[in-house]
Amino acid sequence: MKILVIIPAYNEEASIGAVISQIKHSTPEADIVVVNDGSKDNTSSRAREAGAVVIDLPFNLGIGGAMQTGYKYAAQNNYDIAVQVDGDGQHDPSYIKTLMQPVLENRADMAIGSRYVSKTGYKSPLLRRTGMLFFSTLVSLLTGQHVKDTTSGFRVVNKKIIKFFAENYPTDYPEVDVLVRLHRKNFRIIEIPVEMHERQGGKSSITAIRSIYYMIKVSLSLIIGSIRSADSKTAEE
Amino acid sequence: MFINVYTISIVFSITFLIVVIELVIKNKLQERYSLLWIFMSIVLLVFSSTPVIINTLADWLDIKNPPSLLFLFGLVYLLIYNLHVTTVVSRQSEKITKLTQEIALLKHTWDQENKKEKN
Repeated sequence: MKILVIIPAYNEEASIGAVISQIKHSTPEADIVVVNDGSKDNTSSRAREAGAVVIDLPFNLGIGGAMQTGYKYAAQNNYDIAVQVDGDGQHDPSYIKTLMQPVLENRADMAIGSRYVSKTGYKSPLLRRTGMLFFSTLVSLLTGQHVKDTTSGFRVVNKKIIKFFAENYPTDYPEVDVLVRLHRKNFRIIEIPVEMHERQGGKSSITAIRSIYYMIKVSLSLIIGSIRSADSKTAEE
Repeated sequence: MFINVYTISIVFSITFLIVVIELVIKNKLQERYSLLWIFMSIVLLVFSSTPVIINTLADWLDIKNPPSLLFLFGLVYLLIYNLHVTTVVSRQSEKITKLTQEIALLKHTWDQENKKEKN
């Protein structure tokens, strides 16, 4: 069983080293790949020093493009399980094992580490909570499955999804979009409660002004996505 | 000959056509993207050199000032061409993303091979 932890990182020199050593401690059997998304700081060398495999993108592709690079690497090197962890330290690597469980037992194709399934230590800002409720409702409407923490980037997927992602991954703001795409392909998604921390360093890619754009953009791509799938279904028939 | 919107349009469309063809000859514009421009300047040339077409059309559409139709035509055409250009941009950015990912992965494999050889 080959396990790969994928960490997309853009200017995360402050936290990346600690994240990697925590993963090595909690999941020693896993390989770690950091996809350095054109960082302007020392993210790449920090990650190498900490003992991760580093793939340097020549310039910034954005989270979707970086994440997909990790999945392509996983597919090429024949990994069975891929774990997505943020480079900023908000995901606690000690939960990787918990998240892997349902995937290993083949109860789900993807497990999402969720801040909201039950009481956990994380409390997010109001604007963010509103956005999350909005997406959660939208995803429920489109898929019929209730996912509370749709924007969580703490995820574990099996080989089938690795292959799917290597070919098919949204460019920007991928987390929510992916849920609907996977649902369309009948993959099974499960949510597992985890604790999340405040980020240890760096800046979130989502600022207050951008979040409005984020909400509109994601809603649009979700709606277009469902029209597209309806089209392809009728085409198949 | 008076200087009016028609004569200006004629001069403009001929100049434009020459510039477009010139760019294609110099390989600064690909044939496939020049087609729509050539088409547009020819239509503009026909419209402005035979005002009767534009006048009749304007009459049908109840447009008081026939040259307005020229502007309308130009505007709509630019809108369509812009949409076309953004589809080209989208396709290219998708390709660039793929290329970037492939290059990063290849470079990684290549570095690894190099390390192995040194050891």
